[in-house]
Amino acid sequence: MPDFLSSLKIAATGLHAQNARMRVIAENLANADSAGKTPTDRPYQRRIPTFKAVMDADAGGEVVKVGKIALDQSAFQERYEPGHPAADKNGYVKYPNVDPLIEAMDMREAQRTYEANLNVITVTRQMLGRTLDILKS
Amino acid sequence: MAGIGSLPLLQALTEKMRWHQSRQQVLAENIANADTPGFMERDLNPLTFDEQVKSLAQVTVSTTSPNHISVSSINGTEGFGSEKSAFEVTPSGNSVSLEDEMMKVAGNDMDYQTVTALYTRSMAILRTALGRS
Repeated sequence: MPDFLSSLKIAATGLHAQNARMRVIAENLANADSAGKTPTDRPYQRRIPTFKAVMDADAGGEVVKVGKIALDQSAFQERYEPGHPAADKNGYVKYPNVDPLIEAMDMREAQRTYEANLNVITVTRQMLGRTLDILKS
Repeated sequence: MAGIGSLPLLQALTEKMRWHQSRQQVLAENIANADTPGFMERDLNPLTFDEQVKSLAQVTVSTTSPNHISVSSINGTEGFGSEKSAFEVTPSGNSVSLEDEMMKVAGNDMDYQTVTALYTRSMAILRTALGRS
């Protein structure tokens, strides 16, 4: 039977998923300039978290799970820096395919969804409190 | 079932509280999966008065002929509502709108508050009848 505790559990998985997403975003932003040391080195490749809806018997509903962290397949940025140790023979250095603007937007979205899940927890707790108030009267 | 809980009014209120509890779970699912690709938003069928009355009918019509319809045999059904036209479906196939869900959660909470207040009042009335106001 569904109860408020399962609502809390489901909202908690939402918080968990957005938390994992924030971690990946932090990783991407921190490594936004991680080029290799030699021309043959691959620079840091942007990571993308994936989410999927999973039926959870314990919570009695569809919870969100973080799937595998995929790699962004788009092309690397190239900058002309002839003095860089990782520059190729034409003087270009491969930099990670991380766009700080996209990361910032992703961060906003994660934050907003996190807040929504937090709100569900607050409201569910209020409702639980109201049930207990019946006993008090 | 005997006891105060078997009063039709309190039974109806309990049923309604149970419905709100289930709905809260469905809304929590929607919000948790707000960024899951391919997840379609869901909601419960509204609890209608007719269904509630049918499932609560304590006084039933006697069926003396096979042509009679027994009232108690028709039970209220609870299930997922069909997906209504979502505000927007993202390219990844997700139809959850956080704003809508927030409104629903707030509404659910308010309705629940109404039901628990009614329950408390009903108990107060019973207490008055017992002479222990």
